[in-house]
Amino acid sequence: MNFLNIFKMKGQCSIQDLGRLHSQHLGFSASGAADEYAFLSANQMLGNERNNAALEIIFGELSVVSHNNCTIAITGANCFATINGKKVEHWQTHQLNTGDVLSLSTPKYGLISYLAIANGIKSKPWLDSRSQTLNEQKLGFNGETIRVGSKLYFNDQPSQPPNINHSKQLSPENFYQAAPLTLRFIPQLLWQQLSTEQQTVFQQHYTISANSNRMGYRLSQSPQSILVHLPPGSRLSKPVPYGTIQIPENGEPIILMKERQTIGGYPVLGTVIQTDLFRLSQRRPGEKVQLRVTTLVHAQQQLNAFHQRFKP
Amino acid sequence: MAATEKITLAYISENAVLLEWPEKICPIQHQQIIYFQQQIQISLANVLIDTVASYASLIIYYHFDKISWAQLNNELMKLIKHLPSISAITNTEIVEIPVYYGRDIGWDLEFVAQKTSLSIEQVIDYHSQTTYHAYALGFTPGFCYLASLPKSLQMPRRSSPRLSVPHGSVAIAEQQTAVYPISSPAGWHIIGQTPIKMFSLKNDINKSLPNKNEFSTLMTVGQQIQFQPISREHFLDLGGQIIEEKTS
Repeated sequence: MNFLNIFKMKGQCSIQDLGRLHSQHLGFSASGAADEYAFLSANQMLGNERNNAALEIIFGELSVVSHNNCTIAITGANCFATINGKKVEHWQTHQLNTGDVLSLSTPKYGLISYLAIANGIKSKPWLDSRSQTLNEQKLGFNGETIRVGSKLYFNDQPSQPPNINHSKQLSPENFYQAAPLTLRFIPQLLWQQLSTEQQTVFQQHYTISANSNRMGYRLSQSPQSILVHLPPGSRLSKPVPYGTIQIPENGEPIILMKERQTIGGYPVLGTVIQTDLFRLSQRRPGEKVQLRVTTLVHAQQQLNAFHQRFKP
Repeated sequence: MAATEKITLAYISENAVLLEWPEKICPIQHQQIIYFQQQIQISLANVLIDTVASYASLIIYYHFDKISWAQLNNELMKLIKHLPSISAITNTEIVEIPVYYGRDIGWDLEFVAQKTSLSIEQVIDYHSQTTYHAYALGFTPGFCYLASLPKSLQMPRRSSPRLSVPHGSVAIAEQQTAVYPISSPAGWHIIGQTPIKMFSLKNDINKSLPNKNEFSTLMTVGQQIQFQPISREHFLDLGGQIIEEKTS
């Protein structure tokens, strides 16, 4: 089989597609690519299926040597890619020939980059997906943890170069906003029960905590902030969708990301809209974010428009 | 119970609606939730992504590009209107789980006895003579939330969770009990261990067949569960391993 061989690596790398969307009833995290914009862009550039698996690289360095010819795409955080030491364009497709060395460096901005291959990375599927989940890695359900020595397998490459629809060409700078990021959310009952003053507290500027990962993003407030005492409410664990804003006792929100658990017990303020979650996944600890109320209708319009861009 | 008018629906995300029943741990109400879940899996199959049930709630993930929330709401209201009253537990199938309640393996057995002012024998009796209801799957693959623990055994979770407990650990916290299916961090009190596996893989996992049914759990949501005390010898015969807590 064809493959790329990883011979240098730092940071966290995993194989991701759009996740295991049908297995949450069994207790499995949905998982999947953290930044769907960058992930879907890479697949689109290569003429791949939307759900073809790619390598997700979180704040990492990576060097691979190609054992076969293939076409690749690199998207997401700019990781200053080189092929055989020569700089290549970001958000572009490139040809790798046998023996070529592709190197990615730590990004200066953003967090996550994707390395996609024409026709997708082939790995052991699990629950109809190739997405790897950190918590399950030791169970070996879908292949080994990506490390130095790992091989990224791919099928024979298309004979024709991918046919890119240029009318839908991407402009990532328009998708990722300048700092600070506004996280729009669909409020839940708890939000309506708060006083205007309490709502104002939750709309302050938060700092992304270092304890943030693929499972959840923790937000820290300034030490001067007031602690909001939440009204008593449901405390039995409930199912939690992507983007759930949990409020633990210390008042500092946790936003549940792709590798979230399926049910949770903390009080819930609302749900951050998905298009803003893709943007959030590229934000680093120390950066500022702010919560703002939106509506279900607006959230659905945003996600619909997002999906339209990636329609074949 | 005819309290269907007490179900609230909240369209909490682009593609999810959360249904909530009155806030209580009640096997009869929960049976209605599971019944409802089965109904929507049949009648709304073409727009569903997944459904997840918990103690007093049910989430429905749906394709919002195939059905508007207003249309879905209509469908759900119709189904809710026709929900039958349930007054007794009809799912009487009991899953039995053998447990070795030994001090060597029940790391918190003595602590629990002390805190509840019971003897160790009483703790074991209370835990194993209760029939539990399986309310939810979550946390880690195959982790099943069981309730309700007898009042005399209820105590808060540990003030600081352990970084790791052995797979098969039987634990209690508040109104709940559960088995840790894989070695994982744990905030509950460990009172014993089962030698049997909480989940199985139908296919050889090395075969790369994309098949949703590869994974099955010993306990499924809605079932009745009982723990059977077994001796140390029986535990070892069934393949159990004595893992004592490392004291640092």
